[in-house]
Amino acid sequence: MEGEIDMGENKIKVEEPRIGVFICHCGLNIAGVIDIKELMEYAKTLPDVVFVKDNRYTCADPGQEEIRKAIREHKLNRVVVAACSPRMHEPTFRRTVSDVDLNPFLFEMANIREFSSWCHSSNPKEATEKAKDLIKMAVAKARLLQPLQTIEVPVTNKALVIGGGIAGMNAALDLAEMGFKVYLLEKSESIGGHMAQLDKTFPTLDCSICIEGPKMVDVGRHPNIEIISYADLLSVSGFIGNFKVKIRKNPRYVIAENCTGCGECRDVCPIEYPNEWDMNLGVRTAISVPFDQAVPLVYTINKDYCIECYKCVDACGARQAIDFEQQPEEIEIEVGTIIVATGYDIYLPYDMSIYGYGKYTNVITSLEFERLILAAGPTGGKVVRASDGKKPHTVAFIQCVGSRNKNKYPYCSNFCCMYTLKHVVQLKEKYKEDVEVYVFYMDIRSNFKGYEEFYDRARELGVNFIRGRVSRILEIPETKNLIIHAEDMTLGQPVEIEAEMVVLATAAIPKKGTEEIARILNLTRGADGFFMESHPKLKPIDAPTDGIFLAGACQGLKDIPYSVSQGSGAASRAATVLSKPKWKIEPIVSMVDPNRCRNVTTKCGICAERCPYGAIKIEEKTPAQVITAMCHGCGTCVAECPADAITQMHFTDAQIMAQIRAALEENPEDKILAFLCNWCSYAGADLAGTSRFEYPPTIRPIRVMCSGRVDRDFVLEAFRLGAGMVLIGACHLPYDCHYISGNWKMKARMDALAPMLHKLGLSPERFRVEYVSAAEGVKFAEIVREMTEQMHALGKEKIKAENAKLRPIIENMLKRKAMRQQQKA
Amino acid sequence: MPLKTIKTDTAEALTLEWVLHVKNYKLDLDKNLCVGCQICALACPKEAIKIEKQQKKEGEKAKKAKVDVDLAKCNFCGICDVLCPFGAIKVTVNGEHLLSVVEKESFPQLVRDIQIDTSKCPIECVECEEACPLDLIKITRVSADGKVVENLEELTEEQKEGIQIKIDVEKERCPCCRICEFKCSEGVIHVRKFFHGKIAIHPEKCPEGCMDCLDVCPITGALYLSPEDNKVHVNEVYCMYCGACKVVCPEEEALELKRTKIIHTPVRSGAWNKALERLASTLEMSKELKAAGSRKLMDSVKKRLGWREK
Repeated sequence: MEGEIDMGENKIKVEEPRIGVFICHCGLNIAGVIDIKELMEYAKTLPDVVFVKDNRYTCADPGQEEIRKAIREHKLNRVVVAACSPRMHEPTFRRTVSDVDLNPFLFEMANIREFSSWCHSSNPKEATEKAKDLIKMAVAKARLLQPLQTIEVPVTNKALVIGGGIAGMNAALDLAEMGFKVYLLEKSESIGGHMAQLDKTFPTLDCSICIEGPKMVDVGRHPNIEIISYADLLSVSGFIGNFKVKIRKNPRYVIAENCTGCGECRDVCPIEYPNEWDMNLGVRTAISVPFDQAVPLVYTINKDYCIECYKCVDACGARQAIDFEQQPEEIEIEVGTIIVATGYDIYLPYDMSIYGYGKYTNVITSLEFERLILAAGPTGGKVVRASDGKKPHTVAFIQCVGSRNKNKYPYCSNFCCMYTLKHVVQLKEKYKEDVEVYVFYMDIRSNFKGYEEFYDRARELGVNFIRGRVSRILEIPETKNLIIHAEDMTLGQPVEIEAEMVVLATAAIPKKGTEEIARILNLTRGADGFFMESHPKLKPIDAPTDGIFLAGACQGLKDIPYSVSQGSGAASRAATVLSKPKWKIEPIVSMVDPNRCRNVTTKCGICAERCPYGAIKIEEKTPAQVITAMCHGCGTCVAECPADAITQMHFTDAQIMAQIRAALEENPEDKILAFLCNWCSYAGADLAGTSRFEYPPTIRPIRVMCSGRVDRDFVLEAFRLGAGMVLIGACHLPYDCHYISGNWKMKARMDALAPMLHKLGLSPERFRVEYVSAAEGVKFAEIVREMTEQMHALGKEKIKAENAKLRPIIENMLKRKAMRQQQKA
Repeated sequence: MPLKTIKTDTAEALTLEWVLHVKNYKLDLDKNLCVGCQICALACPKEAIKIEKQQKKEGEKAKKAKVDVDLAKCNFCGICDVLCPFGAIKVTVNGEHLLSVVEKESFPQLVRDIQIDTSKCPIECVECEEACPLDLIKITRVSADGKVVENLEELTEEQKEGIQIKIDVEKERCPCCRICEFKCSEGVIHVRKFFHGKIAIHPEKCPEGCMDCLDVCPITGALYLSPEDNKVHVNEVYCMYCGACKVVCPEEEALELKRTKIIHTPVRSGAWNKALERLASTLEMSKELKAAGSRKLMDSVKKRLGWREK
């Protein structure tokens, strides 16, 4: 990676700052709470501010044009927009200013919407005061901003798609059609995913494998697609445009190139074992394919069951495809983007005893029912009971087993209503009057094209829909029939139905191994366990890590057409990267001042050791070197450097110190100074705002990319200036950090600092480290509320007294440090 | 229905089951028939069978070892069933005793070669029936008019003339020890052992008063207590090399047992080679492979030179 990046001239001649402040009304979102006039008057008083203007919608074209005009007319060289969250519109305004040749990094945002008007709407006066502080902090940083040159990295124009279900297949096909090489990684023996397990699809009732099969073949045949099946993802390193992926191909004990898929080996194999593909209803032989349409059509020997009689070797004969000595093989590929399409699993309700699953023979899940009614399934399409092999005459379907259940999976699993409707229509159309069908449901959710009509069709067929939760299922031991106890909510009375078979529509849950994938790819997961998108509305396909995209049910449950569309969507998002020869990276990277680096004189290397990406190179007697393209800009090294020799561009010590000072200039004892990491806790705070959770307007947040950037000096400085409370907000341990382990580094640092401060007389509650995810708006608001109460409980006098005691000690510490550094210099 | 895997262990039987929606696999071990030998444990390709030596109580006879099958490892292939000399294990699929390994010729069956020519049987003789240590032989006498004779003494000499003798052997439980053959004075029965081997007891190494091997030996007479030295000795003529004795022997070197050859139906199977290696030795396995190889060679030579015979 070295030497490929041109950082350009980062330090351009510094001119006298001329700052323009643009205050956005955001319709009434901001102006409805905050006194914009007062804010404007206040902004004019701030140092170096030469122009102040308000806009109804700054992000709209006229608003942006105002900024461009003002830059030209008033020779502005710094721009502050006080509006919404920088996570929303920072890129927009950076483009705006660069349109008129102002370096985009000379732009700063004050988040007065999510952080003030939306979360303090019942307290306009205080909200305005807080907004003033936020603008003051932004201006203070803006004065010290430096122009930066965007970094360009080369792009490998190949893609990796993880997961060969219907979403992943579509993504791979679309990318391949656009001309990009695609690796399609599949954990199991064949691509196809859950769709290949299904009999029919709703609402058209066309045969699932008949429509998916040809697609699978297309994927298998496409010259641009390389399927890597029966393989595991081991590790991913690198960054957008330049990912290095390690994969382990598990041994099939069959040489793929030699296997013709004829199946002669299967015919002679004497050993059978439960076929997971058939939900273990039926069996497959120790050498087999999970289903006949498998792609790639390569047989696999399951050594857990094989007795090694070598009959298959004889049957294979001259083709010599069988190799019992095959070993796992590790390969490494290089790709520019990664699409994650790992899908879902079906919950097996063994632990919900009221349904009797696993206990009563004739209670099955919907996916098991799917394999029963499928003509190619283990019963040849006959719906029969396991207890006596006979066709049931009454079948009860039970919805929301595990889903929409606060104690289990609170979310709606999206497609269960529809597949149950499909099942009942299939049953009714197949067995007509011979079968009585009941559906116990909470709500029937049939809200897509043609779905409601399908629901009507089921009703017309005479299916009995009973609205109400099932309270218990009991088995009649003699007949193995089942008694379903439920409440009929429409009639408002309990009902009891005897059924010969019960089918449970169980929750769909994150795929086994999702956690592992999240760790390897540095992805975050929501409270439900599915992968989080970068933005729920505007970036629903992008993962928070650049260059990684999400498709299908791994991001949230969705049915086939939606998964297909998202697969195509992910392909087109990936193509925006792959189609460029170079990709631009934000230059917010770390740089080492060689004159201050201790490693020249002593053996240090702390930065290299703490860097989560191994982006710093240490050689004896030479200053540490940052490999820019590998630097993700977390700033952990900056905070760790004992000599303060490292600077993170755009988040320099001086800039952050200026923000701290601006925030605490007035009444510091009444304020909570917070350092929030961009990806989790800042986003969580944003969510508190967008959700309109009210909390006290005491907090003054400073955004850092990662909590790892928070230097202990920042905390000391805040207390030196008299801050009431200090909060550090980070991503959750252990794996949520967007910079792998920045939060851990911060934790270690603060775990050492906190006891020292306590010893010096600081009340423990005044310094707090919290882990808030992007989904925890509630938690963030709660923390601020709690800390404010604690602050008030302590009282201004006590805080002042503690601070008075602390100040000289901290000043001494900082002075000593400054002296040491001067000596070194 | 989701897959159920069930294991039940009672004093009478050990049962393992896979219950699938459409299929049922079952392994039954009849503990009354099991002698605690080591054949199944050695033969199992998944190493699912463990032989547990039972604690001996002071003053009591040694107990035969207990066989335990691991449900997590067992794949219901039925190899233990095929090889059990005493027919103690039965593997069934959907209730039928049809073993895929045998059907598909991926594992051989033991050859229980028992020839009986009842024409030479004296009418009153019940030697073989009484000699069988496992009660597997049943003699029936059928009169000339086809009736089964219950009481021989009620018949006249004339009637006795026309009697036909039938000897039924419960073949699948027969360990082919040859006791019946030796006990028969008329040479009616000929039995070939299916296990060949060597057994030796070194009495000098036996603990004083120990006769654990004799306690568990299923074949009466294969081992005996010699009045001379009060130690157990072998009568190799009857021993069928099951190894039940070896399992319980407390002294590592006191009892030596090895199987050298196993008579089985012809087969080409890697699983059998491995089983043979474990049951006998690598050497024996390679001998068998060589023999098979040279047979194949002979066959192909014959085929090529077949025209000469014309």
